[in-house]
Amino acid sequence: MLTEHAFGEFYQRHARAVWTYVYRSTNNAADADDIVQEAFLRLFQTDLLPSDEEGLRRYVFRIAGNLMTDRWRKRTREERHGAALSEQSSVSPRDLDVARTFAELKPRDRALLWLAYVEGGSHADIAESLRLGRDSVKVMLSRARLRLRDLLKARGLIEGKLE
Amino acid sequence: MTQHEDLTAAEEQGLSAFMQRLQASTLDRAPRMPNADVLVLKAQLIRKWEAQRRIRRPIELMEPFEIFATAAAAVLLLFWSVPSAFDWVERLMF
Repeated sequence: MLTEHAFGEFYQRHARAVWTYVYRSTNNAADADDIVQEAFLRLFQTDLLPSDEEGLRRYVFRIAGNLMTDRWRKRTREERHGAALSEQSSVSPRDLDVARTFAELKPRDRALLWLAYVEGGSHADIAESLRLGRDSVKVMLSRARLRLRDLLKARGLIEGKLE
Repeated sequence: MTQHEDLTAAEEQGLSAFMQRLQASTLDRAPRMPNADVLVLKAQLIRKWEAQRRIRRPIELMEPFEIFATAAAAVLLLFWSVPSAFDWVERLMF
């Protein structure tokens, strides 16, 4: 179990990264607030935890992933895709465009791609994080990549045009 | 990430670049989460409630049995004591 001090420091260092992952996957800021808070609460209450920072980080991502999976199972398709990205002057049109393109994918595809590309998770890590079988992760990730590629191609954002 | 056979190298590069840009992009809404101290306090409260619930659980589980035992004891007591009570009343009256 983490001490209060260790928990506080770990939370300061990683909460934002976990929030960004959840937000980009759910496309819903309020859900991300709830899920991340719940994930860290569960982490603090767990008795047996990995001793290293990286292990803890993976663990909290896994809790957050499981919580997202629970929500996806509860919600209807309409609700899943309901939340839209808000128009805010602080976000550049280019960033908004990138976020909107990503938001067109299904929530699970977004989570898979985020874990694979941003977090650099292995198939085993992703499988644990999203409560999927390892073989399913391979197939689903492959399909998610193809869907993202098609989306980027349709918008003319692939093959060097991003740089 | 390992190279995937159904994507060309350029496509793979494009996907990686897109994900990097997504990661670096400004969020349209900042996280609204409590600071660590509040979260710790919340966790401690939950832990306390859980501990209280664990302590109360056997008592709550036994409650129906207690009610049943009390009711059974009351019936038995009534069954045994009513005839002698009638005797006592009769002796008192006559």
